[in-house]
Amino acid sequence: MSNRVAVIGVGMTKFMRRAQEAPGELAAQAVRMALEDAGLDIDDIDAVTLGTAPDAFDGIHMKGEHLIAGAGGSNKPYMRHFIGGATGVMSPIHGWMHVASGKYNSCLVVAEEKMSPCTPHPAGAFLTIFDRVTEQPLELTLIHIFALEMARFMHVYGYSERDLAEVSAMIKRNALHHPASQVAVDLSADDVLNSPLLSWPVKRLDISPTSDAAVAIIMVNERIARTLKKAPVFIEGVGFRLETAYWCTRDLCYPDYVAMAARDAYKMAGIVDPATDIDFFEPYDPFDYKALHHLNALLLDKTGRTVRNLFESGNLTCEGSHPMCPSGGALGVGNPIAATGLMKIAELYFQLSGQAGKRQLQGPLRRGVAQAWGDLMQAGTVVVMGAEGASPVTSSRWNDMKREDLPGTPIKSVDAGPNISDAPDLRYAWDNGFAISTYLDGLKKGKIRGSLDSRTNRMMVPARPFSEIADLAPVTNYYNLPDSGVVKTFTISHVNWDSSPLPDGKVNIFAVIALDGINEDMGLVHKLGEVDPQNVKIGMRVKAVWKPESKRTGDILDIKYFAPLGRKKTNLEMTQIKPVEVDVLAMSQKQGKIPLSYRYTAGVGGSKFYTDLAKGEINGTFVAERDEVIIPPAMFDEESLSILDPEKDARAINPGSGFIRSFTVVYEDRLGHLLDKEQVVVQVEFPGVTGSIFGMLEVKNGERFYEGSPVTLVKPKKVSGPDMVAFKLSSR
Amino acid sequence: MGVALLGMGICGFTPTSTGLSYREMIAKAAKMAYRDAGVTIDQIDGAVSAEEDFPSGYSIADEYVPDQLGMVRKPVYTIPGDFMHAVASAAMQIETGRFDILVVESYSKASNVLTKDEMVRFAFDPVFNRFGLSPHWLAGLELNSFLSETGYAIEEVAEVVVKNRGAALANSNAPYGDNFSVDDVLDSRPVSLPLTELMCAHYADGAVIAVLGTDEAAYRYSKKPAFISGIGWGSGTSILERRDHSFSIGTALAAERACKESGINNPGEEIDAFFVSDTYAHRQLMHMEAIGVNGNRNPVVNPDGGALGGGDMFEATGGARLYEAFTQLRGEAGRCQIDAERLLVHAWRGIPTDSCVVAILDKDRRAL
Repeated sequence: MSNRVAVIGVGMTKFMRRAQEAPGELAAQAVRMALEDAGLDIDDIDAVTLGTAPDAFDGIHMKGEHLIAGAGGSNKPYMRHFIGGATGVMSPIHGWMHVASGKYNSCLVVAEEKMSPCTPHPAGAFLTIFDRVTEQPLELTLIHIFALEMARFMHVYGYSERDLAEVSAMIKRNALHHPASQVAVDLSADDVLNSPLLSWPVKRLDISPTSDAAVAIIMVNERIARTLKKAPVFIEGVGFRLETAYWCTRDLCYPDYVAMAARDAYKMAGIVDPATDIDFFEPYDPFDYKALHHLNALLLDKTGRTVRNLFESGNLTCEGSHPMCPSGGALGVGNPIAATGLMKIAELYFQLSGQAGKRQLQGPLRRGVAQAWGDLMQAGTVVVMGAEGASPVTSSRWNDMKREDLPGTPIKSVDAGPNISDAPDLRYAWDNGFAISTYLDGLKKGKIRGSLDSRTNRMMVPARPFSEIADLAPVTNYYNLPDSGVVKTFTISHVNWDSSPLPDGKVNIFAVIALDGINEDMGLVHKLGEVDPQNVKIGMRVKAVWKPESKRTGDILDIKYFAPLGRKKTNLEMTQIKPVEVDVLAMSQKQGKIPLSYRYTAGVGGSKFYTDLAKGEINGTFVAERDEVIIPPAMFDEESLSILDPEKDARAINPGSGFIRSFTVVYEDRLGHLLDKEQVVVQVEFPGVTGSIFGMLEVKNGERFYEGSPVTLVKPKKVSGPDMVAFKLSSR
Repeated sequence: MGVALLGMGICGFTPTSTGLSYREMIAKAAKMAYRDAGVTIDQIDGAVSAEEDFPSGYSIADEYVPDQLGMVRKPVYTIPGDFMHAVASAAMQIETGRFDILVVESYSKASNVLTKDEMVRFAFDPVFNRFGLSPHWLAGLELNSFLSETGYAIEEVAEVVVKNRGAALANSNAPYGDNFSVDDVLDSRPVSLPLTELMCAHYADGAVIAVLGTDEAAYRYSKKPAFISGIGWGSGTSILERRDHSFSIGTALAAERACKESGINNPGEEIDAFFVSDTYAHRQLMHMEAIGVNGNRNPVVNPDGGALGGGDMFEATGGARLYEAFTQLRGEAGRCQIDAERLLVHAWRGIPTDSCVVAILDKDRRAL
């Protein structure tokens, strides 16, 4: 049987549109605070697990590895977990596994997100979440898929845009008392309705803001939890489920996968009826409709009546019978993806232990549930937490916490301090394999192709070589399908994939189209054309308009768009075809790239380093705990997780006193091409300080160097990043 | 409670794999693993994948995991770590007592990533360490530190390449088997001296699947299971300026934990062979040092050719070593076969990390 697992401490930074801190610095500040909150040292922590969403935000490949030091994971068991936007509530689940398995007594759980480096807008990172062959060429982004889901949700459950605007206003109001809140405001539904239309039905204020932040919690087994003064809050149930990536293959109106995850969690927690057994709810709310969409699933009610009644009777407010998002949610506190989910877990902890200050719900509170969602409308993670008996009245600094008490340095622009730009050249050529090569071959011939899963009697679009829901049964029969269908949901978009506005008067209409003659839930996403946006309706019949044959290349854009069919008849015939033969010519490849660029703040430590470098100086940072000076300058010490001030704790180092610790002679550039002239990278140490600095060694003809050779810092002409750090041999 | 390895499947292990999409490659490996484990898809409780975003080319690689495993709507998540990290995570899940059988997946379509050096470079800290140079600079510097701190000679590093690529000639799954001499390795093209081209593993495409379960599940379904008696993982600091580049602390932490769980006091004496990361030749020696096995006994290391012989498969690389070890314990390693009852499998995440996993894999469940 599992060991019981409790949450005993929380730390978080402010939620900010743009933080000065580097990702590791954000994490370290949240960790330091969580350790203090729990009354522990980093040495008391057995293991560390980190949740963070796409690497494309922070702009660092393997960013979990990059975050090790800041997350307190140096010289410890450390592992990152990832389920897109659902990561933040997976974080405590992964922490729970560490402790419930009996493997570790304690686990530090950290969630970090720094979305601001991604330019021109973090939304651009979502272009490449879509299938690269069948969807990416349409230049979709996250806002489009949300809008498609929102329109479908409104259509099926009968919510108006005003209803959802009221949800947005309510949740943002809840955030007025959350100390980390980025955008808490007292808005009316009219304010939301009147905010700029981005992609109908989504308006600016229907959406949570992008944010930089970190949250940390500490999880321990019951034995340790019982030794502490605070009343423990236990993990009672966990659930996590992942749907198919073929998101056009299901009705988006109800997230079955969230309901399944909730059922798993409720079974573990012994919950029979969530509407009566759970006191408050923290569904994931990146968009306002999402809170209701998820709450339907958390209450296991596909009819939506329960939530509808609660909404209409005002019972989802903090004063109501079923408070929803008392934290202020992603909409009000901010949405640094993974950190948002963990912020919701923190809210369960605060509420159930009486530490929620002005947000404290009327008790007694026995149980709360938090949920996150992610991937392609696909992932659900659910955690139920419970207090023992009534909410204890605890004296806690969280009760009086204000925004200025939380760490984190918001800045208006990346230009506010030293910063570094980089545009990675990430290029690909994808093997499409047998089934997709057959599909693309069809498009070139003006046909939409599917394959028949005889086990479930589904015609699958795009064609697939196996049945993803019936034991991976092989699928070998391929067909040309009708190129007409019915609009299941649609959005009228005023923005590009990177969030930039379309030219005035221009819109893109994206729709999920269920193809004629096959299963209702089997569709594809494409654009609509030859139609006034005002006249687009769910249920409208449409037909593909193809490019001329000479212009078709075997690409989803061979279909220009789908146009209204009216009452015209269309050919509903399905013809079995011979799929492509397997040879190197028929097996197509698609070229692709990740078209993002980044502007990184140098962080607090890095700002000190580059400010000094411009003057030809080097400072270390004094760590009182260890009575040591470390270089490069740092905002935190990764061994003690103490927070440092690189300015106040600066210790000057003679830039001419360095010596080579190690070196390498590099013959290739960043793309693997041969350099015109090899370059020497040196690791330089300085007497009496811990750490080193990496840089280039400027070597004159005939100069020899060794490990131990004395070097001096070269004052750079211009400071723009690590390539500007250089040393030359000195004659000390 | 113990965790067992019920079965495994692979696909690819080739320099390129043009005829198969990643989905097709993974589905084939999954079907092979499920059959090998003696389980049906219904009996599997969930999946853990080991993937990073940029090698997959997706901003959220996790999305594209469940379908080709037959795990749609089941509990599934991703560990952005080596395959062996995902094994460790799945093992914890099973040890909570709430899951009986789980599948672990990873794959590489390295041949589809046209700018691999640039991608690896993108893993470096943009503020302090991301130079406009080949990311191999760190491996070169690390090799230099390793040689000067430990007293190993560069010829001993080259010998690792000679042995592993030679061993791979007997391994039908390893595409890079070949005959080299120490001089060939030392005289090969300089990449980031003292690192030469032949000291770096080539990339390969491949999918690896493992089915893990409780001992009860293993005895019930699998004809030839193996048993994980210990698994540990650890990471050295991510701050390169304050890392000891001559020693793998990540490996030492992982090995200490895994050996403790398995009741191993002297790894050199009690373990029959070591399947350790050799994506750079010097790393094999560095990892063995950290495991606590040095030259006083001639250990069997990477008898199937390692990554130098079999290819670097991104996150799937540790899975390939696990597959080799599993095959050895079953006596199915063909011309690479050694006598083996207890094996050590190690994984390292590659530069710029020192994040490592160590697992002890036994032929039979042993009493502690």
